[in-house]
Amino acid sequence: MGADPCMIGRREFLRSGLGVAVAATVACRRSQTKPVTQARAAVAILRAASYSDDLVDRLWRGAAACGLQARGLRVLIKPNLVEVVPGAPVHTEAAVLAAVVELFEKLGAAEIIIGEGPGHRRDTLFLAEEAGYREVVPRFDARFVDLNRDDVACVRGFAGSDSGIYLPRTALGADLVVSVARMKTHHWAGATLAMKNLFGVVPGALYGWPKNYLHQVGIGPSVAGLYRIFPRTFAIVDGIVGMEGNGPIQGRARPCGALVMGRDMAAVDATCCRIMGIDPMRIEYLRLVSAPGQINAERIEQRGEPIAAVRTPFALIPEFRHVRLG
Amino acid sequence: MRAASQAKLAAAQNADGGWGYFPGKQSWLEPTVYALLALADQPDGPAFARGWKLIRSWELPCGGWRGCAAVNEAHWATSLVVTLHAALDVYDGAFERGVAWLVGLTGAEGRPLSRLAHWLRPAIVEFDPELCGWPWQAGASSWTEPTAHAVMALRGALGHANSPEIATRIMIGERMLLERRCRDGGWNYGNRRVLGADLPSYPETTALALMALAGHTSIQWGTMLNHVERMRRETRSPLARAWLSACLLQYRGERPAPADMTGGDDVVVAAVEAIRWERILA
Repeated sequence: MGADPCMIGRREFLRSGLGVAVAATVACRRSQTKPVTQARAAVAILRAASYSDDLVDRLWRGAAACGLQARGLRVLIKPNLVEVVPGAPVHTEAAVLAAVVELFEKLGAAEIIIGEGPGHRRDTLFLAEEAGYREVVPRFDARFVDLNRDDVACVRGFAGSDSGIYLPRTALGADLVVSVARMKTHHWAGATLAMKNLFGVVPGALYGWPKNYLHQVGIGPSVAGLYRIFPRTFAIVDGIVGMEGNGPIQGRARPCGALVMGRDMAAVDATCCRIMGIDPMRIEYLRLVSAPGQINAERIEQRGEPIAAVRTPFALIPEFRHVRLG
Repeated sequence: MRAASQAKLAAAQNADGGWGYFPGKQSWLEPTVYALLALADQPDGPAFARGWKLIRSWELPCGGWRGCAAVNEAHWATSLVVTLHAALDVYDGAFERGVAWLVGLTGAEGRPLSRLAHWLRPAIVEFDPELCGWPWQAGASSWTEPTAHAVMALRGALGHANSPEIATRIMIGERMLLERRCRDGGWNYGNRRVLGADLPSYPETTALALMALAGHTSIQWGTMLNHVERMRRETRSPLARAWLSACLLQYRGERPAPADMTGGDDVVVAAVEAIRWERILA
């Protein structure tokens, strides 16, 4: 019996141009109406003293604690590869990225894509090489998409404006976007964690290197706008060794010994802020995406280690001393 | 090596006549113009004709060119289209409109509010707001790469386009590039010093800035080109190596020996390696 041409699978549909167009439209509606989560968000904190620990085991326990399901999904894993500075904790560590890929294999993901669009340099595959990704992550080249130079589709209603933003079809067509960030301070935003990492999905081919358009719109509204466009996300923050001071590139290494993960990206970032000694409500993008009280500590269900067990105050530049958790 | 790059490009052309950044991907303006510049010595060939037809169909009423079929906005790579027209000696209405669009586009850091913010806190990002180059996108600040391409394009338009402002914009663009030069002597994306800390340069943007600063007397060219040669030997980035080779080709007229490294399926790398920069920027 021949297949009904209208009865295509969801993944095939999303891969088609029509699928991406519909996904962009849905994203547009959600960008304006993303519901406020009423239930307590689960965020897992796992101790990991070094990158040679069994990170897959840690992530597996964290995924179970957060109820992560990925069977049959097309998963886009988005590391932070803004730049590579030898010896400095600027990018997501290769061992963490490899462990995340293995986690989603174990969870039965149908397809695992690794995508990134670095903000300063154009040769993304070279940066991936320098970061050790091509050496450590199995089949890296086959899985990798340069989001700076991908096919694009328009999503309307970005950051409260009538004009749209063009985003990679690979990201819009994913069932789940997994932001795998490094725990860092940020000299313009205060902190860069899972949500700010979404800047890397914005295509440089259109917005440039750096993606200055996002700064013109405003970092806070841009992060919030991107967060609202991608409703199905999971956040993993590499805090084994973070960056303090003049981050995200020129700061100092700050060992914290923790992996933080969860399905609610704002709750994960708020938890990371508390670990870093930062008041999450003083980080503009977290304030913009949160309903009153939504990222209060009592609204987040901490699983695994308590915050106090891994709390590591990160040094802040003078411009951001006001965000210090009182 | 050049023939191999051209063959790679011919195989990567899309059905619509353009090129994506990678084979099989959506056609974009930037890789399409680079591919056409690489094939400019074969203008009667079918690949060139199809690509040229697509490019010409992407001109917008504002005088700029769209970045790809899906984007209905003028794109920074309009400067590359102007360079392509000059390389082909096509000085028609589309060329004139492209030059006018380019001359009319300037970085947002020159706006009164931006200047006030910079005046109040000049050490946040150290630069001279009087010297506005070109942005990646209208409404944004100016940066190294779009400014370098715009300066090269307008220099090629001198004497062929009817705009009295071309020479002034070239001069300001050159001064902006010189003012954004990093302490290590090269260029990065366009910030040399932020929050009191010097930022390092990158090889690819250093090559592009030097290509735009053709013959400028403030550059010690012998020393700088030796530095370019050294960076080319040492870099592990195929894209950086391609631009450093283009820079050496422009100033020394000789194509450097191929390195033991391939750019994979990156269309821009293949095209930049195949372009006769010494002729186009002569």
